Amino acid sequence: MFYLVKNEMMKLFGKKANWIYILILIIAVAIGGMVQQKLGGEPSQNWREKTQAEVTQLQKDLEAAPDEEKEWIAQEIQKKQQYLDENIDPNAASNWHFMNGTVIGMGTLVTLFAVIVASASVSSEFADGTIKQLLIRPHQRWVILLSKYLSVLIYSLMLLAVLIASGYIVGTLLFGSGDFNARFVEITLEGEKIAVVGTQFLLKVLYYIPSLLVVLTIAFMLSTLFKSQALAVGVGIFVLFLSSTLGGIMILLTEKYTWTKFLIFPHLDLTVYALQENILQDVTLPVSLATLAVYYIVFLLITFAFFQKRDISI
Amino acid sequence: MTGKALEVRSLTKKIKNKVIVDHVSFEVEKGEIFGLLGPNGAGKTTIIRMIVSLIGRTEGSVHVNGHNLDGEFKESMSEIGAIVENPEFYKYLSGYKNLLHYANMARQKITKERIEEVVRLVGLEKAVHQKVRTYSLGMRQRLGVAQALLHNPSILILDEPTNGLDPQGIREFRDYLRSLTKEGISVIVSSHLLSEMQLMCDRFAIIEHGKLIHVSSIDTLKEADRAAQNVVFEVSDSDQAIHLLMEHKLGAEAVKSGNGQFTVSVDKETIAAVNQLLVTNQIKVYGIQLVTATLEDRFLELTGKGRKEEEASVLSS
Ligand SMILES: Nc1ncnc2c1ncn2[C@@H]1O[C@H](COP(=O)(O)OP(=O)(O)OP(=O)(O)O)[C@@H](O)[C@H]1O
Ligand SMILES: [Mg+2]
Repeated sequence: MFYLVKNEMMKLFGKKANWIYILILIIAVAIGGMVQQKLGGEPSQNWREKTQAEVTQLQKDLEAAPDEEKEWIAQEIQKKQQYLDENIDPNAASNWHFMNGTVIGMGTLVTLFAVIVASASVSSEFADGTIKQLLIRPHQRWVILLSKYLSVLIYSLMLLAVLIASGYIVGTLLFGSGDFNARFVEITLEGEKIAVVGTQFLLKVLYYIPSLLVVLTIAFMLSTLFKSQALAVGVGIFVLFLSSTLGGIMILLTEKYTWTKFLIFPHLDLTVYALQENILQDVTLPVSLATLAVYYIVFLLITFAFFQKRDISI
Repeated sequence: MTGKALEVRSLTKKIKNKVIVDHVSFEVEKGEIFGLLGPNGAGKTTIIRMIVSLIGRTEGSVHVNGHNLDGEFKESMSEIGAIVENPEFYKYLSGYKNLLHYANMARQKITKERIEEVVRLVGLEKAVHQKVRTYSLGMRQRLGVAQALLHNPSILILDEPTNGLDPQGIREFRDYLRSLTKEGISVIVSSHLLSEMQLMCDRFAIIEHGKLIHVSSIDTLKEADRAAQNVVFEVSDSDQAIHLLMEHKLGAEAVKSGNGQFTVSVDKETIAAVNQLLVTNQIKVYGIQLVTATLEDRFLELTGKGRKEEEASVLSS
C-alpha cells in the first residue's frame, strides 16, 4: 500500500499543473495580503480617542437625523461604544487577523484545486489509457483505488498546509506578528460577536476540513464514473459551484420543505458554525456532521463498488 | 496443479446479449510461443482482457501456472506480464519513472539493476530518461515490453507486440522471445499479420467471430506443405523440359508459366531429380524457386476467405 501511494504521489507531482496550483495559492495569498494592507484602515495608537470622537459626532447626528436613519445611527453608536467598552481596536491588524479573514476565505481556492485534482485522478488514467496497464498488477482493484484516493487526500491537505503556512508568512511580513489571544469583533449574519482571533481561525480550519473531505470525495466519485477527464473535472467544478450557491437557497427552502435540510448542500460549509450555533433552529453542528458522514459513506461505497465491477475496455 | 502455463476453459463474453467471445478453450505449455490469430474484430483483445482480468468473464475459467484467477488473483497476476493493445504510459514522466512505477507494484522487490537490465534488453538506454511524450510508437512498444518483463513473469501476453516496430526491431524481438522461452517463459502473442506469426509461434489458434475455429502447430503445417510444393524452374527450353518430365513421370502436371519457366508440384527429393534430368539432357537451368504455400493461404482457406481472394486475383490478372 505504501508503495502504491508513493506511486500516485509521483504521478501527481509529475504533472506540472499540480505544482502550479500550489504556486497560484501562494501568489493569491500574497496578493490578498497586499490588497488588504492597501484597503484596510490604519491601526493607530490613539484609536480610542478617534473612536470616542466618532461616537460623539454620531450622537450629534442622531438628534438632527430623520427618523428612518435614526435606528441605523443608533446601531453604529452601540457598535463603537462596544469597541471602547471591550477595548478592541476595530482596525487592528496582525498575522492572525489576516489569517482569520482573508486566508480562510481562500479555502475556496484549496477546494477548487482539490476538486480538479480529485476528479482527474481516475478519469485521467482512462483518458490516457494507462488504466489498463495499472490494473493488470497483482493488487485488488479496490486497493489501487484506495491508493489513488489517499494520494488525492494527501495532496489536498498539502494545499491546505501551504495556504496556512503562506498565510502566516505573508501575514507576519505585512502586518507583523500579533497576539494569538487578541480579542476581535467578528461580523456574522446574526450581528457581531466578540471572539479570540487565533482560536477562531483554528476553529474555522477545523470546520473546513470535513467539507473539503466530502467535496473531494464527490469529485473522486465523478472521476471513477466518467471516462472523460474533461467531463469529470467539469462536472466536479459545477457541483462545487452549485453547492456554494445552493447552500444559501436551500436554507431558505427548508422553511417550506423540511426534507431539503437532509440534502447535502446546506451542510457543506461548516465554517458557519464558527460564527453561530445553528444553521436552522434544529440544525446544529452534530446534525450537520452526521448528515455529511452518511453522504460520505454512501459516496465512497458507490465509488468503490462501481470501480470494482467495471469492465476496462479502452 | 497442472504443468500448463495457461489453461483457458470455455471463456465467454457477452455484452448486451451480443456474444463477443464464445466458449474459447486452449492451453499454453511452458516455454511455448502461442499465437492468437484472427482478423480485426475477431475477439483476440477481448480474450486477452479477460485473461488479465481487465473485464469480467460471462463464463469460463482461467488458470495461470495452476493458480485459479478467481481464487488466487494476486498469485495469478504476478505470473503475468502483459501489453493490451497499444501500451500507454504516463507521458509526463520519463520512461524510467514509468518503469519504476510498475516495479513498485510488483509483489517482489525489483532492484534498480533489474530495471536497467530490462531497459538494455529492449534497447532503450538512450531514451529512458526522456519524457515518454517524446517517444516514437516503436519506442513506446519497447517500453511496453520492458514493463511486461520487469517482474520476471512466467507468462507474457502481448497483444500485437510488433505493431510499430521496424524490421530490425521485429527480428530482435523475435529472437528475444525465443531466448525467453529457453528460460521456460511462455508467450502469447496476438496478431492479424500471419507472416509474422509464422516466424514467431510454435502453435497458434485461429479466432473468428469470437470462436476458436482451429488450433494447430505451425511446424506441422510447414512440413505438410513441404511434402509437395510448387516449384518454378527457369530453363533454356521449357517445352522440351516439360516433355522430359512427362516422359520420366517426375512430379505432377508441369505447367508452362511465362517466358522459359514452368511450374511443377514436387517434393524436396524430386527437385534434385528434376534438376539432374534437365542438366543431363542439355537443358540449362537458370533458377529453381520454391513457391511457399504461406500460412496466409492456409489461414484464408480455413477462415473461408480464400475463395473470394482467388476470384479477385483471377479478375485482376
Ligand atoms: N465494450 C464493448 N462493447 C460492445 N462491443 C465490443 C466491446 N468491446 C469489443 N466489442 C466488440 O467485440 C469484437 C471483438 O473485439 P476485439 O477488440 O476483441 O477484436 P480483436 O480481435 O482484438 O481485433 P483487432 O485485430 O482489430 O485488434 C468487436 O466486434 C468489437 O466491436
Ligand atoms: Mg485487438
